[in-house]
Amino acid sequence: MPKLKINGKDVEVPQGSTIIQAFKASGVEICHYCWHPGLSVAGVCRLCMVQIEGIPKLQIACNTEVKEGMVVNNTAQGVQETVKWGLDFHLINHPLDCPICDQAGECGLQDQYMQFGQYDPQMAEHKVKKHKVIDLGPTVVLDSERCILCSRCVRFMDEVSKTHELGIFNRGDRSEIGTVEGKPLANNYSLNTVDICPVGALTSKDFRFRQRVWYLKEADSICPGCSTGCNVKVSYNEEGLWRIKPRENKEVNGYWMCDVGRDSYKFVNLKGRLLGGRVGRRGSWQDVDVVDAARSAGLKLRETVEKFGPDSVALVLTGQFTNEEYKDLLGFFVSNLKSKNVFHWLNNPDKVNEFDGLLFRGDRNPNTKGLVGAMIAAGVSGKWESLQSGLAGKKIKLVLVAGPENQAVFPDLEEKVKFLGQAESLVWMTSGTSTVLDQVMAETWQIPLKTYIEKAGSFTTYQGKVQSFKLGTTIVAQALNLSEVAELLAGRDLNWNLRPGGVGGVKVNYSTAQRGAL
Amino acid sequence: MFKLSKDSEEFVKKELTRYETTYSAIIPALFRVQKENGWVPPEAVPALSQLMKIPEAHINEVLYFYTMFNKKPVGKLHVQVCTNISCAMNGGRELAESLCKTFNVKEGAVSNDGKITISRVECLGSCGTAPMMQVNDRYLENLTPELAVRQLKEMGA
Amino acid sequence: MGQTRLLTEHYDKPEFQKLDGYKKHGGYAVLPKALGMDPKAITEQVKASGLRGRGGAGFPTGTKWSFLPANGEPRYLLCNADEGEPGTFKDRLMMERAPHQLIEGMIISAFAIASKKSYIYVRGEYDYSKAVLRTALDEAYQAGYLGKNILGSGFDHDMDVYSGAGAYICGEETGMISSLEGLKGQPKLKPPFPAVKGYLRKPTIVNNVETLAAVKYIIRDGGAAYRKYGTEKSPGTKLFSVSGSVVKPGNIEVPLGMPLKDIIFDLCGGLKPGRKLKAVIPGGSSAPVLTADEAMKAAMDYECLAQMGSMLGSGAIIVIDDSHSMVDLLQVTLHFYHHESCGQCTPCREGTGWISKILHDIVAGHAETKDIDLVKKISEQMMGKTICALSDAAAMPAISFVTKFRSEFEQHIQAAKSASGGLHHA
Repeated sequence: MPKLKINGKDVEVPQGSTIIQAFKASGVEICHYCWHPGLSVAGVCRLCMVQIEGIPKLQIACNTEVKEGMVVNNTAQGVQETVKWGLDFHLINHPLDCPICDQAGECGLQDQYMQFGQYDPQMAEHKVKKHKVIDLGPTVVLDSERCILCSRCVRFMDEVSKTHELGIFNRGDRSEIGTVEGKPLANNYSLNTVDICPVGALTSKDFRFRQRVWYLKEADSICPGCSTGCNVKVSYNEEGLWRIKPRENKEVNGYWMCDVGRDSYKFVNLKGRLLGGRVGRRGSWQDVDVVDAARSAGLKLRETVEKFGPDSVALVLTGQFTNEEYKDLLGFFVSNLKSKNVFHWLNNPDKVNEFDGLLFRGDRNPNTKGLVGAMIAAGVSGKWESLQSGLAGKKIKLVLVAGPENQAVFPDLEEKVKFLGQAESLVWMTSGTSTVLDQVMAETWQIPLKTYIEKAGSFTTYQGKVQSFKLGTTIVAQALNLSEVAELLAGRDLNWNLRPGGVGGVKVNYSTAQRGAL
Repeated sequence: MFKLSKDSEEFVKKELTRYETTYSAIIPALFRVQKENGWVPPEAVPALSQLMKIPEAHINEVLYFYTMFNKKPVGKLHVQVCTNISCAMNGGRELAESLCKTFNVKEGAVSNDGKITISRVECLGSCGTAPMMQVNDRYLENLTPELAVRQLKEMGA
Repeated sequence: MGQTRLLTEHYDKPEFQKLDGYKKHGGYAVLPKALGMDPKAITEQVKASGLRGRGGAGFPTGTKWSFLPANGEPRYLLCNADEGEPGTFKDRLMMERAPHQLIEGMIISAFAIASKKSYIYVRGEYDYSKAVLRTALDEAYQAGYLGKNILGSGFDHDMDVYSGAGAYICGEETGMISSLEGLKGQPKLKPPFPAVKGYLRKPTIVNNVETLAAVKYIIRDGGAAYRKYGTEKSPGTKLFSVSGSVVKPGNIEVPLGMPLKDIIFDLCGGLKPGRKLKAVIPGGSSAPVLTADEAMKAAMDYECLAQMGSMLGSGAIIVIDDSHSMVDLLQVTLHFYHHESCGQCTPCREGTGWISKILHDIVAGHAETKDIDLVKKISEQMMGKTICALSDAAAMPAISFVTKFRSEFEQHIQAAKSASGGLHHA
């Protein structure tokens, strides 16, 4: 483990580390664009220059291996001037697009320019003109003038996605990133290039022009798109969620995530969400406060069990919920109600073992493993056939369903709604609305649920790794998680500080209202 | 529809095994396409990609990196006049200009009769015989505008 | 004082190009001798000779060969025939007149470094050279000088010609390696150096045409004999390509250390009548320019020119008389580097474009005096910061021209301003 000095500070790094890795490990800032820990070293931006004692010429930190006893600094006047000029070279042909560029606010060039004192540029020549607004494929737009030719995107396509759609064509300052006609940038990892592009050359079609990043906050979470469990961060504000980006996790997803997972902020936003409790049947609904809806559903549930026994009710679960929710809900249903009718609704059994070789898995649920584990722990293993016969034979009178929040990956949603709606009573717990429920004959309660962003909890990956996440933000004030629903179904009250807001997302101080007038 | 001739296909296949890596065959393959077509049409890239099992973007990078590959059609006589330092000192630029005037064609463009394209290029390694030019594969050296015109006319301009 | 025709002795005989003619004049007589030696002894002779790379860098050849690691990996010998440095046309002469001389030198060198495969990377424009070399290789194979068990020595060697496609940067050793690997001809990060990890990440020696041809003569006569020519630190002979304002431009072979003025005025016919010497670029356009005074004092060896702040480089001597504008010639030169920059690293890609544009403005009369200082400052910042030396190669002429001929630049700018009535383009 060689030791070196960085700007006077002692740092120890693993054998074979480069100086830039040492900087990263020690938290000292070093200017760089083309280096990325998940990609090969290119050494083309020439900004990570450092002074190494005993070596007359400045060296790039990304390609120099740390030797024991090295004394490195990037604060000397010569280094600072070099970096300032290096930045200048990057800027001389860079278009002044900041007012219309999505990258503003999280742009490498802006950040460096602000750090180097906002000097006056001396470039008075005509800037090189290149192609702008190039449709590279279904997800990414290219602006060649903004491109600083760091080659991160090309290296990503060659080394990570291994799809080789991108190249750098032409020489010198006429160089441009591009695809070849007929082979667009169309793979399931295309949007990672937007993440790694230090400037606004590559932008996401989904996010383009929609929101300024300084109006966004970030929350850490776990992607619910499949059983890999990529670590992500979600950008949001009061209007909702705007985009998802990957978070580094060397064991799970490295530095990347797939494009499909990035869409999983869409079902969180208000559009398409169930905003409050609904009770009714055959398309005629009454909007009620979620707590009341859950309470009345719980009443019906406990009555049914009292009258017809624990076998007359069934619980159908999808692998979309947290370990904590499964524990609490199963605790109520199995230990409390003594029913063994717990069924696992698997949406695509024939694709479950598919894997694209990188990150994306065929099991499109974040917590199938957690669900299976929770069911085993509770000692239940309902066979789908007994649910079928139970419903057909009218033995099962009430079905409690924790439906999918990611409806897009449940192609059998409509069919299952109709199937489960055969029962006399249906308690459909879900985050999104579904018009199919309008066709159901059963007396139905719709309970709005929190999506993964709106709760704290943990998912278990396909490998069995438990990943916890904190609450990100609240989109639907009335939504509950399954643990809270379990409390209400059991006839208990929610904790005073778990106060869902009024219908439609407006927050109301529930505990005060509950206390009643003085 | 661009199609590689049978002979050229065989040629490319042989080149794929001639060097230590199949990628080395890209330059010879592109030269071959240019020999057949006068230039390298963009459709040649996916065709070669399929034949050589090399990603299109890669072949395109090589195509656009080197100046000798014509990315646009050129005249039957591709006249490349050196205008680097020694030739510039000996009238290379004036030669290029006068040839464009004589043959009534703008620099880099194809003449109306398709016979000639005149462009300026960098050092061709013939500085001792300046001014000079390369016409297709041949070097024509120790030129004057008159001499150049005469030789080009002999070559069919 | 004439030429010293060590390598070029028989270049005036057309038959020397073909195998029979080559053999008639001592061709392939050194190869059997070399194959009978211990390969290490060959390297020792090359080291003893003090031979330095003739392509431009001037790095001691024997030392370069000794950098090869003894790790059992297959080794490659690459002959750099991508002669692109403006003003240089000596390798072309060598390949066209004496392909077998190069081939023999390469086989001997390959034997010394235990390489089984070599390539001659010829720039794409040298069509005739490529054809001549390919014919010569066929002849050599047929005669048993290449292939398996050469001359019964047990040494196998294959050699091939590879064509470039028009890129000056492929003359840079790692740029050439990239090109040969089927990639864009972009230089690679060093370290690792080619001797350790080169072509296909295997130990590779890259040498210039002239260097490899010289090896034959060093083995023929012994390393000490080579030192009879030239100076102590720059031994041997060198081919110089002389062009520009001289009456008799062309390639000459002389001992290193010959005074530059002798080359210009004795061997190359001097200047045209009525003209005065203004400047000389001694080593290809990348070498800092010498004023007429400096040129008259210069000796053509690595040390003297380095001491004068310039370099021997490829040995391309570009003579400039007083009928030429230094402003104009710098513009032409910087246009070249702008055109040839591979575009990988930022200071070169952007810097070459920037200084080229400023020079265009100066020539066109749209500039200010401060732009001269700006060119200098930009060029200084382009030096020592990049993956390869192209950036330095553009910066050095820029700095030397505007420094040594500053008054000419200032006059040019002032004259243009007066002509346009003081108005200038923003």
